[in-house]
Amino acid sequence: MTNTATSIFNVKGDKVIWAIFVILAMFSLLAVYSATGSIAWKERGGDTEYFLIKQALLIGGGFVVAYLFHWMHYLKFSKAAPVLVVLAPLLLLFTLAYGVNINDARRWLEIPFTGMTFQTSDFAKIALVVYIARVISSKQDIIKDFNQAFLPIIVPIVIVCGCIAPADLSTAILLFTVCFLMMFIGRVDWKFLALLVMCGLVAFAFLIVIDMVFPNSNFVRVDTWTQRIQDFMFNSEGGYQIQQAKIAIADGGLIGQGPGHSIQRNYLPSPYSDFIYAIICEEYGLVGGLAVIGLYVTFFLRVVKMVTRSPKAFGSMLAIGLGMIIVIQAFLNIAVAVHLLPVTGLTLPLVSMGGTSLLFTCMSIGMILSVSRYVDKPRTANG
Amino acid sequence: MNIKNELLSRLYVVTATFIIVAIVIFGQAARIQIEEGDRWRAKGDSVHLKYVAIEADRGNIMSEDGLLLASSMPFFEIRFDLNSSGMNNKAFDEHIDSLAYYLAYHTDRSLSPEDYKKFLVRKKAQGERYLLIKKNVDYNELQKFKKFPLFKYGQNRGGFIVIRKSKRERPFGQLARRTIGYVRENAQPIGIEGYFDDVLSGTAGKQLMERINRSTYIPVDDLTLIAPEKGLDVVTTLDIDLQDVVHEALKSGLQRHQADHGSVILMDVKTGAIKAISNLGKSKQYGYIETYNYAVGESTEPGSTFKLATVLSLLEDGYINVEEEINIQGGKMKFYDRTMKDSHPHGMDTVTIAKAFAISSNVGIASIANQYYTREKGAKRLYANLKSMGLTERTGIEIQGEAAPIIKDPNDPKVYYSGTTIPWMAHGYELSLTPLQLLSLYAAVANDGRKMKPYIVKSYARDGKITQNFYPKIDIKRIASKSTIKTAKRLLELVVEEGTAKSARSGRFTFAGKTGTAVTNYSKKGAKSKYQASFAGYFPADDPQYACIVTISEPSQKGYYGSSVALPIFRKIADKCFSMKEDLMPDLQEYASLNQNQHFVIGSNEDLRWLIQNLNIQPLTETNAKFGVLIGQKDSVLLKERIITKNRIPNVVGMGLRDAVYLLENEGLKVTVSGFGKVKKQSILAGTHTKGQQIHLSLG
Repeated sequence: MTNTATSIFNVKGDKVIWAIFVILAMFSLLAVYSATGSIAWKERGGDTEYFLIKQALLIGGGFVVAYLFHWMHYLKFSKAAPVLVVLAPLLLLFTLAYGVNINDARRWLEIPFTGMTFQTSDFAKIALVVYIARVISSKQDIIKDFNQAFLPIIVPIVIVCGCIAPADLSTAILLFTVCFLMMFIGRVDWKFLALLVMCGLVAFAFLIVIDMVFPNSNFVRVDTWTQRIQDFMFNSEGGYQIQQAKIAIADGGLIGQGPGHSIQRNYLPSPYSDFIYAIICEEYGLVGGLAVIGLYVTFFLRVVKMVTRSPKAFGSMLAIGLGMIIVIQAFLNIAVAVHLLPVTGLTLPLVSMGGTSLLFTCMSIGMILSVSRYVDKPRTANG
Repeated sequence: MNIKNELLSRLYVVTATFIIVAIVIFGQAARIQIEEGDRWRAKGDSVHLKYVAIEADRGNIMSEDGLLLASSMPFFEIRFDLNSSGMNNKAFDEHIDSLAYYLAYHTDRSLSPEDYKKFLVRKKAQGERYLLIKKNVDYNELQKFKKFPLFKYGQNRGGFIVIRKSKRERPFGQLARRTIGYVRENAQPIGIEGYFDDVLSGTAGKQLMERINRSTYIPVDDLTLIAPEKGLDVVTTLDIDLQDVVHEALKSGLQRHQADHGSVILMDVKTGAIKAISNLGKSKQYGYIETYNYAVGESTEPGSTFKLATVLSLLEDGYINVEEEINIQGGKMKFYDRTMKDSHPHGMDTVTIAKAFAISSNVGIASIANQYYTREKGAKRLYANLKSMGLTERTGIEIQGEAAPIIKDPNDPKVYYSGTTIPWMAHGYELSLTPLQLLSLYAAVANDGRKMKPYIVKSYARDGKITQNFYPKIDIKRIASKSTIKTAKRLLELVVEEGTAKSARSGRFTFAGKTGTAVTNYSKKGAKSKYQASFAGYFPADDPQYACIVTISEPSQKGYYGSSVALPIFRKIADKCFSMKEDLMPDLQEYASLNQNQHFVIGSNEDLRWLIQNLNIQPLTETNAKFGVLIGQKDSVLLKERIITKNRIPNVVGMGLRDAVYLLENEGLKVTVSGFGKVKKQSILAGTHTKGQQIHLSLG
């Protein structure tokens, strides 16, 4: 390595992924600063720097997390996987029962003594993907076997997604989709995959039944789901939020209104999270919008390139799974902003203003970079 | 195909799918921008949204003990957005029958449910988004509306729009109305409302509003940008019972003398807290009502009540001895070209200065002032003294619109002091003060020379919890030396004992003060004289608690003197205070000593004497009254009189049941009892007029 700038910090791994990471972080700072104008007035008495500084600190923290994880050998994650995958549903259930209730949903758990909260589903996502990657790669030879391969894969998926779904259906569907695609790539039998889709549908139906039996409990948010889906299906113009987002996109033109010149941020609810893509389009135009989508696609292509040498290895499956979580979540978020999907509440990874979930995304990237560090090297380095 | 290649090809399929999805998503963004762009941009350009300030709930104004003097009562207007963005036709069709039924029942009874339904359907077809359902809905009714079919889904899906409004109410009507004041559009804010507007009004919120036609905006569902923050409650020092007393006394006095207007202020001597303040003006339509805050806002020539300041100044400078005799020339004296007359005819020539003050001889006070405060030097000296008494500045009371005092400043070259200025200033002319400014001088004398800053707000509160306290503030530590104050107090007592206020003496309590009768239109030659009658003073004279000033402008019948017009009002107020206020009641003060761990026994004197004799104790003091209080000291006992007043409820706390019932039934009361032992509590306050009430005694 001859790059002096990186050697100072001893940064290794795929340089393109690092670069994408940095560029998205820049987008994040600019867009969050611009979009938090109204929330700054609402919650901080006009202290607009507050959210910029908070986001900058989080991103800084995110880099540290990514850096630490990229230095760890990814096989350590594999060893931890069985513990993590047991811990995840326990934490999720605990959250459903005792978690912090924000916006009518129990998704957050307070970290004792810190006053900070985190979404247990963020942890569960990574834990499940690590585990699935481990099982798929280790059972490649018997992958078509129902009892020996399919069951160990599917049971944790159903449990974890089932525990996430009541409070956060979007994340559950996202995670389920990622696991499904990992199994598809990992050569799981078509019949089993079809069965899995059935399972998903049955689980979903089960939740709706629960809601019908206990119509007054807030446990399952069927009300919210049906309303969002209705809004999407029956209102071709989109609801108020969607209309404002479309105005923002339309206002952007080819090259946008310029940084900090969004008007729609004043009218668009949560312009700093769910609809940040619309604000980016307004301020940086179609060019900016294309750049953001391009960055996510490039990111995934780099992951794909990275794993071509040994796609069935644990590290490869892990990088693919974690990479898909980020990219699919990005697509889902953007699809909402452009009115291709009903409102999901999913954020744009790395870009939306985030709390601890930003740190978990950075952790994923750190793990992918860790994989890239070792697949770059000759096989002997693999310990 | 080997495993590796199979995996890779599957991965490429997924990757290819991602790229396609990315293209579709970006294509949609481009489509919105290029294909639909003009439409969306047009929609964004038309200023169809704006942020509107939503007023916060205004804080309450409360009396000393938390009664509401002014309060904002919320009420609501209900509107129906028949075409709200989240409402689907299926839900509308499903609920319209039952909704129409409820609305017909709860709003316009003339429409049948069927007609109401037709009406709603027609309005929906017309695109109505802001249909008025009902105005002036109170909170309880609103809760019902919220549960109606369709409405229960809220604004976005149910079209249910609630507009919150509020009106300011004053539960005590005219009581201190002007002092409480108001803040209105197109009017000068006045009173406490005006002065504390910032505190009371809280912080306005912001609400996003959507324009639905040229002049109508409706709130966008749930998108309140900033929630309004309720204003703080302002807790005053006003005592609603005393306020009532003062109001009624002033009103009846004004009616009796058919005066133009008048004011009364009752102040706590020790703290400067305003306990009651009343301002009444004559109105053709309504009789006497609170129309203007004369007590704070009207600065007038005070007349003789100002003599206190003159005498304080002369005493402080050591110029006079009040026992010294002066010649008042039968109450008539010429100063340059003007003749001064005493307003009360007396025919005396040689009197002591004290007597001259007591009988309010203008000539007496003016001539000595004229003698000592000569020329520019004298004028400056007098001015400096008045300044050190705090008379040249506003009091700073927290009521909007306090008038500034006017006292000629000899240091100002533009001010003209004529030869008659000093003698006329000496008896309260050629200068002007508000009643409150003058009263604070009297209160300072009563408070042994310590001038407290008058105040009317003692704390801010939110939801019944005090957020900030305001404590009494010393304005001037000592307005004059101890001996000067002592003499001044004596002079004010003499006014009551043998001077112009003699007629109002009371056997029950003592008070001190000064009458004032000012001619208000002396500059108009030949016109019928108009007067301002006043009395300023404090009570009880030996241990002053309250200071009070009564100012009556232009009395038109049954006299015009301060002594005949203002003094009776003062006396009536003092009377009531003595009946109502525990700290003024000698018998209750003994009750208070219970808290200091003193042992005492109350009962008929006969019983107490028997007790003392049997115990073989000689009491330090004795009384022959029918009821007595036996107070235990360290090594002896005191036998004191328990005062029992006819037609008043006696204080029976501490008495045995037999004595208490005897006393109360003698006054025609019905007595109920609970518990054992001595009387611990009585349900009606001592001093209240008896009229055959039922009283409950708790023993313990």
